[in-house]
Amino acid sequence: MKRLKLGMISFAHSHAFDYLDALLKMKDVEVAGIADEDPTRTRELAESHSVVYYGDYRELLATNIDAIVICSENARHAEITVASAKAGKHVLCEKPLGLSAEEMEGMIAACREAGVQLMTAFPCRFLTPVIRAKEALERGEIGDIIAFKGTNRGSFPDPAWFSDPALAGGGAVLDHTVHVMDLMNWFSGSKVSEVYAYAETLFDPEGTRTIDDAGMVHVTFQNGIFGVLDPSWSRNPSFPTWGDVTLDVIGTKGVISIDAFNQKNSVYARGAGKGSWSFWGDDMNVLMIRAFVNALLEGREVPITGEDGMKSALVALEAYRSAEEGKPVRVFV
Amino acid sequence: MKVAVIGCGGMGTIHADRYASMPGITLTGVCDIDVQAAEKLAEKTGATHFSSMEDLIREARPDVVSIAVPTYMHVPLIKQAAEEKVHIICEKPIALSPAEAAEAIDFCESRGVRLFVGQVVRFFPQYQQLAEQIQHAGSSSAGIYHASRAGSHPGLVRDWYHDRQKSGGVIVDLMIHDIDYVLGAFGEIEEVFAFHRVQGGIDYASATFRCTNGTIAQLEGFWGYPGPFTTTFEFAGKDGIIRYDSNDAQSVRVRRTADLEQDGGFVETPQSELVHDPYYRELFHFLECIRSGMEPAVTAADALNALKWACAAEESAQSGLPVRLEKEAAKS
Repeated sequence: MKRLKLGMISFAHSHAFDYLDALLKMKDVEVAGIADEDPTRTRELAESHSVVYYGDYRELLATNIDAIVICSENARHAEITVASAKAGKHVLCEKPLGLSAEEMEGMIAACREAGVQLMTAFPCRFLTPVIRAKEALERGEIGDIIAFKGTNRGSFPDPAWFSDPALAGGGAVLDHTVHVMDLMNWFSGSKVSEVYAYAETLFDPEGTRTIDDAGMVHVTFQNGIFGVLDPSWSRNPSFPTWGDVTLDVIGTKGVISIDAFNQKNSVYARGAGKGSWSFWGDDMNVLMIRAFVNALLEGREVPITGEDGMKSALVALEAYRSAEEGKPVRVFV
Repeated sequence: MKVAVIGCGGMGTIHADRYASMPGITLTGVCDIDVQAAEKLAEKTGATHFSSMEDLIREARPDVVSIAVPTYMHVPLIKQAAEEKVHIICEKPIALSPAEAAEAIDFCESRGVRLFVGQVVRFFPQYQQLAEQIQHAGSSSAGIYHASRAGSHPGLVRDWYHDRQKSGGVIVDLMIHDIDYVLGAFGEIEEVFAFHRVQGGIDYASATFRCTNGTIAQLEGFWGYPGPFTTTFEFAGKDGIIRYDSNDAQSVRVRRTADLEQDGGFVETPQSELVHDPYYRELFHFLECIRSGMEPAVTAADALNALKWACAAEESAQSGLPVRLEKEAAKS
């Protein structure tokens, strides 16, 4: 059996823990190293799985691994991706791919020149309800798409760097626009031509937060489809789950409504002090990692490219420009 | 108090039915140019039927009339009733243009009659409860609000709904409920950005309103939705989240094996599981206001304001640009 030797760089983004879990269960994957600048969050974890820990990611890149999973702060995606490409490693990079068009173009170019693949971590594309919706669209069940309404509402993220514009590049509008934006891009088969957005800070009970935690992003596609999405970190600790991914697709002959995490049991535990929703649907992270690994092992193109990642991230970045200017802005001209 | 109903379609039937069961209220007449419809409703409610409003007012002598005719006829009938010194409860939307609506309001004032507009969402307990909770939150009530209102196209039953010159379309006729609600719950609006598409049997609109208090309200109005009539809302503020979905709030379901008979369907309205449904509450409240002289929970000026913002949404959908209204213009 062919095995993929894989390393992980940075656990700044907590999705790294989920990806590691998924990787460790795969028989055709060897997690050969974890590089993380903060040993307190990963050193013991690495050792408990007999994985080599590196304090400096360049040491990991010097080994004979095939591919890298990057879960650093957003601001470091470009630097680490380019370094990985130069070391000849394929890359799976956490979203948002980068913080500017130049940065992302540089990442894509570096991977192309090195002959390695770049995949953007958009696990929502691997949600089974999303795939069923895409299939229904392709069967023509709702005719042509007229409009989208989506939400990716979440809780304010725990790691402190999410509140630091220098490391995160933006707040909720950047973090939570990209997932559903990617689904809209995928479903529409078109490109966004115009963005009109609001970015606000509305959900801080302490009133000290400065990064945006609320927004509304409106897009118009080149083919005339309209989309609106709520990327707010508006869930509070008493909400029964972390957040949601929903997308209504309004077509000329019907409507598809996705509520991606609605496969759930309602749980009322005496000790918890609140009710909660326990999800039992397919694990999107496992499915995404599987797709990345399979593409590399079989020498096929990864299912979600760097270009896909850039298409969504740019909409989020342009959303901030629109919010600042108070008017719609043209994109991809 | 004597009341009469002008228009014996879907909404007129609801008005007549609620008046007929209201203590202290006499439903003296119902009227429709469609004689059969008037006869049918008269038979159901025990009222006398008429085929012209003039005859009805002269013979039945109502103190109040409900006007439940197609929207493009609202203003002429409001003026006709006001001229006869009869108080008016008019279905929403008050008119098709703000200028026309303002004219109707001024006319009623000048003739000394009261004018009420059936912005009924203000009388739905789930929405009332949300508004109270928002009000309770006070200055910290800015947040993100989503609301949708979706059902089959009423034009399938009444053709005039298809004609935007007559009905105003999905924003002016349907979304106006949620626009009025946003104005009532969050206060003034300062900007709208909207999308509106009419295609085949679908009339769909999506509009985001930005309120002066900081709230962003994203509203959807949908005629031609291929599912049950559905209303939803979610308000998220820093102190909490309140959400409602009509499909999750049914407390009694009756399902009959042979239930294929369409019972004179009209604009779908939610099933009520309340002793007094929101229409009854609304009409009762308006009649109370006439009796006591007090201000209603929703005024004709409120209805005009909602219409202004509905028309602003339409303008935004046409231009692709956000539309802001001057504060004075919005209030005048």
